[in-house]
Amino acid sequence: MMTYFRSPIAYFLISVFLIGTGYFFLYNVFLTSTATMNETLKNMGILLITLTPVLTMRIFSGEYSGKTMELLSTLPLKTWQIVLGKYLGAISILFLMTLTSCINLIPIYLYGNPYTSDIISGYMGFFLLGMACIAIGQLFSALTHNQIVAALVTLPVLMAFWFIGYMQNMQSNVFMQNLLGYLSFSFHYGDFIRGLLRSEAVTYYLLVIATALILNTSYLKWRR
Amino acid sequence: MKDAIVLDNVSKRYGPKEIIHNISFKVGAGEIVGFLGPNGAGKTTTMKMIAGSTAATSGKVEVSGINMATRNYEAAKKIGYLPEQPPLYDILEVSSYLKFVAKTKGVNKKNINSELNRVIEACKLERVFNTEIYKLSKGFRQRLGLAQALLGKPEVLLLDEPTAGLDPSQIQETREVIRRFGKQHAVLLSTHILSEVTLICSRVAIINEGRLLAIDSPEGLQKASQQANRVSLIASNKQTSQLKEKLLKIKNILSVEIKKNNKDNKKISVDCYTDDTKNIESEIADIVTSKWDLFYIERKNPTLENIFLQYIKEKK
Repeated sequence: MMTYFRSPIAYFLISVFLIGTGYFFLYNVFLTSTATMNETLKNMGILLITLTPVLTMRIFSGEYSGKTMELLSTLPLKTWQIVLGKYLGAISILFLMTLTSCINLIPIYLYGNPYTSDIISGYMGFFLLGMACIAIGQLFSALTHNQIVAALVTLPVLMAFWFIGYMQNMQSNVFMQNLLGYLSFSFHYGDFIRGLLRSEAVTYYLLVIATALILNTSYLKWRR
Repeated sequence: MKDAIVLDNVSKRYGPKEIIHNISFKVGAGEIVGFLGPNGAGKTTTMKMIAGSTAATSGKVEVSGINMATRNYEAAKKIGYLPEQPPLYDILEVSSYLKFVAKTKGVNKKNINSELNRVIEACKLERVFNTEIYKLSKGFRQRLGLAQALLGKPEVLLLDEPTAGLDPSQIQETREVIRRFGKQHAVLLSTHILSEVTLICSRVAIINEGRLLAIDSPEGLQKASQQANRVSLIASNKQTSQLKEKLLKIKNILSVEIKKNNKDNKKISVDCYTDDTKNIESEIADIVTSKWDLFYIERKNPTLENIFLQYIKEKK
């Protein structure tokens, strides 16, 4: 985590996220004339998808290129500890991004009557979405020595997870329709924004996180 | 006493290519063993296998009796490793970096400051304690790399080219640090500099093309080095005993070998073995041309390859 704040990355990410969120908030509130966070949260999700590759690209790629992976692999640390430690460091940035975006709630509560449950649910979905995106980005960062390649591969993968649900209309097979819907980040996130705290959605995100981290750990072990 | 490092028929393969072939050797506590070989010989790969950064394809690697294949996490607590390029986080300060390594190595919170002071003093890093690592010179970076390896008082120290990039006084200081550490711990020191192993190592393992050629004392290596340091010439084939006598009178000529030249019976091939590193060739040429025809003269420097070849020749 220290390395994030010793470099411009954390400040850049949080600033861009704040500016973007602020813009979306102002645009949505004035466009709809309603004091809700629904549309803003939706936009925040897409913004998160585009910024996550920047956050995650250097997690392991940076260690390879800086020749510090050799230090990590020879210290008395188990592989899963390294993976989890790196993951939690990135999550802390996500947490700060989420926390700072809450500044938009102040005018909503001052001048409106928002549904608090919807907002809490929306933010929970946002955080889970972020955790899943970071886990995927970290996995791709471990697969390459080149940070740019890691970012360029992570972005389309996250976009695919976001938009895959929209392919439902192209499927006549019911099973495929349900599968594509289940795999879609945006569909599950949409439920959270609407105030639906579904265990199916929470399980899905946790499964994605667990799978990505396990694959990450397995790859590093195999690489050794 | 248990050996600190044991390699038993260790091989390493990347795909179809075998990089290390059945290497076996041991390093005991209180020993400083030099690991000598030219670039690409396999020194770094072997060091990585001992440090746990990469796993051996076959064979057994043990550190302090712990098998690296199954319990490398436990063994890592006993190892201090300086890779070829010091693994430094450029954006951290020296103090933050060392604190991070110390904590990860399990140094007790109460002892961290004293431990940091110990290695800072040993590696003369007081001046740069609060400096960002990216601002350090190559010499300081190398010393910082050594400092992180010394943290936690490891039983085994693995040093891959520890004096690379250092100036002569820093090299001297680093060697002194290694010597002091080696009195009670095991040190495996990888280098391609002959003088380094002869000065501080009790034994030398010589590796070339992934194979362990020999393990010998520095004196044995020195002898091979001297034998590899020679002047070769081709002269006319007459009064060979007189030629040999005159050449042996030259200061610093250790021995002279005269053989018939394979290509021409009228010529002889002469090898003059010397421990002289300066221009002894001109003196030899003067002696030879006084009475004989000199067709060819060349100085053969003691490259590692020559030493290895000489070493193998001697062993045969």
